[in-house]
Amino acid sequence: MACSNVAPASVATEHRALPTAHLRLDAVVKRFDAVTAVDHVTLAIPQGAFATLLGPSGCGKTTLLRLIAGFYEPDGGAMYLDNARIDHLPAHKRGTAMVFQDYALFPHMRVYENVAYGLRLARLPKGQIAQRVAETLQFVDLSDLVERWPKQLSGGQQQRVALARALVVRPKVLLLDEPLSNLDANLRERMRWELRALQQRLNITFLYVTHDQSEALAMSDWIAVMHQGRVEQWGTPGDIYYHPQTPFMAEFVGSANLQPAVVVQRSDHALTVRLSEHCFSVPVARPAGQLGDTVQLCIRPETLTMSDTASDHPGPPACIGLVGTIARQAFLGHVMRYWVQINGTEWIVDHPDPGAARQQHHGPVTVWLNPARIHIIWPAAYLSVEQPEYEEMED
Amino acid sequence: MRKTLREPALVLTLVVVVGLLGFFIIYPQLRVVLVPGLAGYVEFVREQTWVKPLLHSLQITILSTTTAVTLGFVYAYAMVYSDMPWKRFFRLVGILPLLSPPFVVAASYILLFGPRGIISYRLLGQSPNVLGLGGLWGVQTIAFFPFAYQLIADVLSRSDPSLEQAARNLGAGTWEVFRTVTLPLSRPGLAAATLMTAIYVLEDFGNPALIGGQFTVLPTQAYGLISGFGDLAGAAAVSTMLTVLALLLYIGRMRLEGSRSYVTIAGRASAIPRPPVPRQVTWACFSVCLLLSLVLLLVYGVLLVSALVQAFPANFTFTLRHFDYVRTQALSLRNTLVYGGTAAIVCGLFTVLLGYLVQRREWTGRRVVDVVALLPAAIPGIFFGIGYASAFNQRWLDWLDRGALITISMIFWNIPIGYQAAVVGLQQIDRSIDEAAISLGASSLRSFRDILFPMLHSALLVGIVTTFVRAVTTLSVVIFLFTPGTTVATITIFQLINDFNWGGATAFTVAVIGMAVAVLVVIWVISGRRAAVQTMASG
Repeated sequence: MACSNVAPASVATEHRALPTAHLRLDAVVKRFDAVTAVDHVTLAIPQGAFATLLGPSGCGKTTLLRLIAGFYEPDGGAMYLDNARIDHLPAHKRGTAMVFQDYALFPHMRVYENVAYGLRLARLPKGQIAQRVAETLQFVDLSDLVERWPKQLSGGQQQRVALARALVVRPKVLLLDEPLSNLDANLRERMRWELRALQQRLNITFLYVTHDQSEALAMSDWIAVMHQGRVEQWGTPGDIYYHPQTPFMAEFVGSANLQPAVVVQRSDHALTVRLSEHCFSVPVARPAGQLGDTVQLCIRPETLTMSDTASDHPGPPACIGLVGTIARQAFLGHVMRYWVQINGTEWIVDHPDPGAARQQHHGPVTVWLNPARIHIIWPAAYLSVEQPEYEEMED
Repeated sequence: MRKTLREPALVLTLVVVVGLLGFFIIYPQLRVVLVPGLAGYVEFVREQTWVKPLLHSLQITILSTTTAVTLGFVYAYAMVYSDMPWKRFFRLVGILPLLSPPFVVAASYILLFGPRGIISYRLLGQSPNVLGLGGLWGVQTIAFFPFAYQLIADVLSRSDPSLEQAARNLGAGTWEVFRTVTLPLSRPGLAAATLMTAIYVLEDFGNPALIGGQFTVLPTQAYGLISGFGDLAGAAAVSTMLTVLALLLYIGRMRLEGSRSYVTIAGRASAIPRPPVPRQVTWACFSVCLLLSLVLLLVYGVLLVSALVQAFPANFTFTLRHFDYVRTQALSLRNTLVYGGTAAIVCGLFTVLLGYLVQRREWTGRRVVDVVALLPAAIPGIFFGIGYASAFNQRWLDWLDRGALITISMIFWNIPIGYQAAVVGLQQIDRSIDEAAISLGASSLRSFRDILFPMLHSALLVGIVTTFVRAVTTLSVVIFLFTPGTTVATITIFQLINDFNWGGATAFTVAVIGMAVAVLVVIWVISGRRAAVQTMASG
């Protein structure tokens, strides 16, 4: 997590530098009876990118993927792939191969026939089919399983066959619908790196759907977080994590302490806010709003530090000390998580490397807040100011 | 819909399929309903000749359904819940009646209990008049309880053993589990099975025709009006009335089936076994099943014996002379095989395609087509037959072989079974399977051909087997359609019985059942080999 101090304005700059969009969605809408599953989604995904649709279940991410694949008919908007409009093409003519959550291997075909199927449909000569299948199976490390039936494979192997079957046809974009969610935790972690490496080697555009934020952060070049059918935010993993634009974003990706604060002073690159009795200056790239506005401070638990009592500890430089009591704690392995009561609200504090800690915290503690590590979430009314990149992508 | 329109081949297939359904299911039925005309109906209602058959039909349907369902339920419960011995034997005997025309039970009844019956006359020295309500009730009970058994066993075997185990785990005894878990969960299914059995009884033509005597029911009334008086309008009105009754039962059945959602549909064999049944219950089950299967064996055994002796029951000298009829009437047996076999294969393939179009594709009117495809299950054979006769026995269709017409009637009368099997089969295949094929570049029809069709072979098999069996055993559908050159086995048997040629009739019955069994064995062997491949595929 390197890009700690990237200001929101730089997101827009990065966008201008993008190569032309490869897959472009323009105000795509899909309704199921009264429910609007996909609500005017506009996105531009560059060639060769690993892009992820991230969101809680029911947010419309899978529906959007299926719209692109052609399994659903959109109720509005347009979709372009390789500068050609695709939303009026039948699904089998779009060049959008898909990897399914349950793999959807053809149970009556062996591994070889499964992978060869797309090439047979394309009427490639037999020799060429054999060569490409062998090549692709080697890619995913399955060369010695060609004669197996799908039922004879482990989950991870089935996953690779599904991947090979989709990759072998050289799709313009590969659509992946939660492909790792049926694997056990360790295998899932390993497959992340394999998928990412494969994608970079082949330089194929991936559009990946997942509800798992750590998966999205680990693999993607770009992430679109979806909520209630809309794209809540679009950006790099760093943007998404450190510069959430809405309270939903802050709480969905990672954990966050959201604290209301009042704007008391504004300068070119900073905002002075008041949080209970404390006033401090938070660096902001393009301050918006007016004095007296209430904004949300987004404070990640790992940016907070904690000491036992306020009196005998000087605290880190430039930090604000807040006194509270520990309500409960949980050992998460790589961190110890504390819930601390401060002025009637609960704060989450992560203490790294709990094994090295000399003592357990209990009783009254001081939580140290570093203003430089605070991100400001503006009220919804100012969101358009903070989201120039949406307009960028509509052309 | 827009999505469908983008594939012309798919649209063309749809148009053809819908056109066929309209022409061969809707059109003939409309003809029958419209034949009498308004004036005809008014006169029909005023004449009141329908009152008696209607009351008789209602009466016998209630009586026979009650007894058949009761026996069927006991048989089914014993098969599904107890671990009694001889289950394979009981299953086999339970299938036998499905392979023969139901009306041979009436024939057997006459041989056993008729004026010269082996039990009534030879054993007891009585010469009773067996025609009428009592005999018909008994005969239909025996003829249709195996159908009720199949339907109910299907319902019971779908109830989830884990729920029953959970109830046992919470302290319920065998009887309490049955009363508080099994029965409430399968009640809608049991009611649906009862209504379906009632439809079979209501539509039964052969048994009342043979032993109903003065006890006329709606199907025999319709037949009598045509064959006796040439009164097509009157017969059409009577059979329309019959169809309305059957439709009401069928609608009730559909509503019950729709509310059955909490019973596991997939039929996936659960890993855990059902809780054991106490030993006394097991033996009670065994005794009842033994008794019932002995009755069935007696019914069919009498036919076999009659076919093999000089003059049953007066002269028990062994002879094969009755099988001469099978030889001289070989044409009708051959016709049955050809028409039934063709109908079975065409119907099986057609219904799988139809199931795919309705279950997997989206287009306006698929709900209507779904209803139309299920409609023939509610249409009495006699009505279906009259419909085909009045719609297609036309001069402009003289070029059409009547055998082809019989085959077509068999195909469309049997569509519901194969269609339902296909829809259930498709529901068990995740959509992502065909979507995977489509995303790799297969058109809808191609993905159907390459992916779904091979995976639906068991549904196809169900469609083919049941269509064949029903086509071979139906009397009412073909009785208005056959010509001397296109007669079929059931017609021949029916005629031989009416001629009191018992030897010939029973020999022919034996031949038909033998043929049906032989065909099923062949299908079983072929599909067994396929199943072996499939087992390999499923590791």
